[in-house]
Amino acid sequence: MTPSEIQLRVNGRPSRIDSVPTDERLLDTLRWRLGLKGTKEGCRTGMCGACTVLRDGRGTLSCLLLTHEADGASITTIEGIGSDPVGRRVLDAFDAAGALQCGYCTPGFVMALTGLLREGGRSTPVDEMLEDLGGNLCRCTGYATIVRAARSAREEGA
Amino acid sequence: MPAFDLVAPGTSDEAIAELRASDPGEVAVVAGGTDLLFDLDDGRITPRKVVSLRRLPWRTLDWNGPTLTVGSTLPLRELENDPELRRRIPGLYAAVRAVGSVALRHQATLGGNLGRSAPASDLVPMLLALDAEVDLVGPKGERRLSVDRFVIGSRRTALAAGELIRSVRIPEARPSAYLLQRVRPFHDISHMAVAVAFSPTDARWRVAVAGFPPRPLRFPEAEEALGGSTPGAADIARAAEALATRAPIVADKRASEEYRRQLVRPLLARAIAATRIGDR
Repeated sequence: MTPSEIQLRVNGRPSRIDSVPTDERLLDTLRWRLGLKGTKEGCRTGMCGACTVLRDGRGTLSCLLLTHEADGASITTIEGIGSDPVGRRVLDAFDAAGALQCGYCTPGFVMALTGLLREGGRSTPVDEMLEDLGGNLCRCTGYATIVRAARSAREEGA
Repeated sequence: MPAFDLVAPGTSDEAIAELRASDPGEVAVVAGGTDLLFDLDDGRITPRKVVSLRRLPWRTLDWNGPTLTVGSTLPLRELENDPELRRRIPGLYAAVRAVGSVALRHQATLGGNLGRSAPASDLVPMLLALDAEVDLVGPKGERRLSVDRFVIGSRRTALAAGELIRSVRIPEARPSAYLLQRVRPFHDISHMAVAVAFSPTDARWRVAVAGFPPRPLRFPEAEEALGGSTPGAADIARAAEALATRAPIVADKRASEEYRRQLVRPLLARAIAATRIGDR
């Protein structure tokens, strides 16, 4: 038995998706059915954070989530994050800090940081916020500017 | 991985019936999914049916006096964000934060961690030191088991066919600490871990170690050596010596036995030092 239809709200727009196999992951649904290729596949094992999206406002690994398990959820990807005030602030902070090298990890970092700032904001000590970004890896090791962007996005949320 | 039927029952009776309707080798359960998708990918399991727990009303967290009950499908990040946890059971807070990353903890659950029963689980050793219990529901009704009885070995638990973990009960908030050694400081698996808790009721320590097969375990000889509430340096040294020389620590692909036996001494000493008794 395959549930017939999945309903997601993706970047604010309701989306009905038919005939999704039960073993399909949200990452693949976003990229290949909805054409939202800003969400990146890195390790596909939950270790790198490149596929992070927001599910109901919370950072989630789309490579470790069956699309059917997300039925009814509100999903935000890098394509839609600029409409969120916190997301906008994070994008601007990455821009100002030049916080990318090859850019592959950037969508995941932006989504993870937006999720963290929406959850805790300034109430989370800065060291803890940086620790909480530890689930995202940058293979270029461009961490100095990413950390600078994260600090400044947090400060501007005052 | 081959596709499977995916069902999401709305009651525990329906969930149990779904499990019972299939051969135990052909059905899997998904809570957060963070372990299950690994197992599906590498072909370790090939279920014909997957029973999702997402519609069950088990995403709960309840304090009742000193007792904390956590529903099995509550995402770990929600347990971590509970305003009381950090202050009342600091060791459990630290153990939860040691699991994966924030995004992973938004998905992963306490029930899933117990059901997976990994030797390097961060949560099982802390639950052992807290004398935690699991409440199970199944075809024969409900039963309660200590975590010590529930966890048998790697991927092996006392869960019977058709049974599900409904909740985890921590009978008493305790001064506690959890320390681990791993390669990366975050989002990595422990080589060696020590969980300690001090019970204000019986004024005794609990010491559990983890990271090596077959499973996390309590070590009563170290607990005895620590004595009462404020162990001296000699007591801690005796407890550490007992662990380092006589605990059933073994090697596996991630670390040697010798390395682990060296690690356990400072981990224990620091865990005891980090436990603030009377300062809850």
